Amino acid sequence: MRAEPPLPTAAMKAIRAPFLEAGAMLIDPPVIQPLNELLDLAGETMRARLFIVQGENGAEACLRPDFTVPVTRAHIASGAPSGRYRYEGKAFRVARKGDEASHFEEFIQMGLEAYGERKDPPADAAIAAIAWRSVVAGGRRDLAMHLGDTRIVADVLRVLETPPRPAARIMRALGRPAALSAALDKAKSPAGEAREGLAAELALMAESAAVRKLEEAWASGELEAVGGRSALEIVARLRLGAQAAKERRMTDSEATLITDLSVISGAPDAALDQARAVLTRARIDIGASLDTVAERTRALVAEGVPADRLSLGFGFRRPFSYYAGFLFDITSGAFGPGHAVAAGGRYDPLLRQLGGPVGGHAVGCMVRPFRAWSGASQ
Amino acid sequence: MSEPQTAPLILALPSKGRLKEQCEEWLASVGLELTPTGGGRGYTAALKGVPDVSVQLLSAGSIAAAIDAGEVHLGVTGEDLLRERGEGVEARVALLQGLGFGRADVVVAAPKAWVDVETMADVDEVAHDFLARTGARLRVATKYFSLTRAWFAAHGVVDYRIVGSAGATEGAPAAGAAELIVDITTTGATLEANGLKILRDGVILRSQANLAASLAIPWSASQRAAAERLINEQAATILQTRLANG
Repeated sequence: MRAEPPLPTAAMKAIRAPFLEAGAMLIDPPVIQPLNELLDLAGETMRARLFIVQGENGAEACLRPDFTVPVTRAHIASGAPSGRYRYEGKAFRVARKGDEASHFEEFIQMGLEAYGERKDPPADAAIAAIAWRSVVAGGRRDLAMHLGDTRIVADVLRVLETPPRPAARIMRALGRPAALSAALDKAKSPAGEAREGLAAELALMAESAAVRKLEEAWASGELEAVGGRSALEIVARLRLGAQAAKERRMTDSEATLITDLSVISGAPDAALDQARAVLTRARIDIGASLDTVAERTRALVAEGVPADRLSLGFGFRRPFSYYAGFLFDITSGAFGPGHAVAAGGRYDPLLRQLGGPVGGHAVGCMVRPFRAWSGASQ
Repeated sequence: MSEPQTAPLILALPSKGRLKEQCEEWLASVGLELTPTGGGRGYTAALKGVPDVSVQLLSAGSIAAAIDAGEVHLGVTGEDLLRERGEGVEARVALLQGLGFGRADVVVAAPKAWVDVETMADVDEVAHDFLARTGARLRVATKYFSLTRAWFAAHGVVDYRIVGSAGATEGAPAAGAAELIVDITTTGATLEANGLKILRDGVILRSQANLAASLAIPWSASQRAAAERLINEQAATILQTRLANG
């Protein structure tokens, strides 16, 4: 187990200063978090990174891997329509196999979460700029901020009228070229293997007759009725699947469009020009989304983030699906990919998933002070 | 305490059940016989006439853990238990030789009642719908956390949760504790009897008892020589290559 050594007080003070100026309330959520809820949100891949703890009463819990979920819960519990919180404290993640030598499992995170505030490019930029100023105060000279916005690809899929399941698969695969290619292939040829036997029969019958037939099969003991899905649900899916061939398939050129967009990455102006060119060629109009990205870049520069340190990529996506829309990373040449010095973005879907208001806004940023500090020797 | 150069090869063998019997048959087939050593607990043994091998008798699960951790040089245990040690286990463990017994398959099984679920692609869709509609994830009962995670990830299925199951995994769906299972099966009869079916593309691993070597423990020349008396030529080549690259 490796724990980060503490920073000198002066360095922490400098890195903390931009957060103190953000008008946020200090919050200290519990270190011990319920395990089930976290895995429900983040999925099984998260389990391998969690320190799981168990009291004698048997309820499984874990050490917080970050602050976003606990702070969001606390905000929702407060019932306040809006709120701005800052946090600073330890978080815990199990090192990936092979990463043990270089990866701290116990480390400090410092961050800000803002709920129920205006959602627009200047607001996005203001949050990201706090993280930038904080990291810069750590003294590193080789910092860069990488921007993304998952809205762009999502808007394209909407305009193409890609059905919801293939669209969800494609969005999930963004940022992973092999997975994206597989997801696009599936969107181009959605029909699965042909059904046989009872499944094939049910797919072609009228719905109520099919439901009756399936329920009879269950009751007769031919197929035990194990499993919490209703006959209606199963029949509906089979009938939908039979229509899959008639469902709108993605064309080769549409798939190429998505691939081309997902690999655009570079200086923001150039990336935006490329994206506009790709969309114009494909005759796809996604309205104002690209303008929003352009406005956000200008707002960031206005907040003091140097233009030559910004890059923009349309294939940039976080593994946790609750981040949607604007996102950013701040990196330093001192660390490899996957070890950002700071990160953040919008996560409205998480707010909703945790029981917050429909249409609520959530945005935040997080800094790793130890990585920001140029005085750290690895 | 022997000098490192003459320290015995440590071999871990199953301590009980059918696997123990089949292991002794295998040893006999290569002209070796297990003899109990003093120590009435029965945790250690020796090979008759082979002084430079020390045998430890452990459970199949403990053998897999011991090889992974570099506590023994060689061991016989199920391939399923070795691969369950996790992604990247092949960097620490060399699977030398399938021994032809203890055959069983690690499979994904779903309720027979779900006539629309036959493949992992079906699981992907149903899981996604389930989560979107109910806010809850499909539950997979298993003791194979690692194998399940890797298999589901390889098929792009993310909307599920693993529910730990120490035994009688196949009863979990009927008991309402899970929707799917990942379990080891020989004939599939128990699955059938519990209203479950194996997915068409649901065989994660065709497992058998395997002789495996630890790459996490130092090997001396004499220990290598002792190992080579137990294993076939192909396995000897694998061992040589893996130790050289390590």
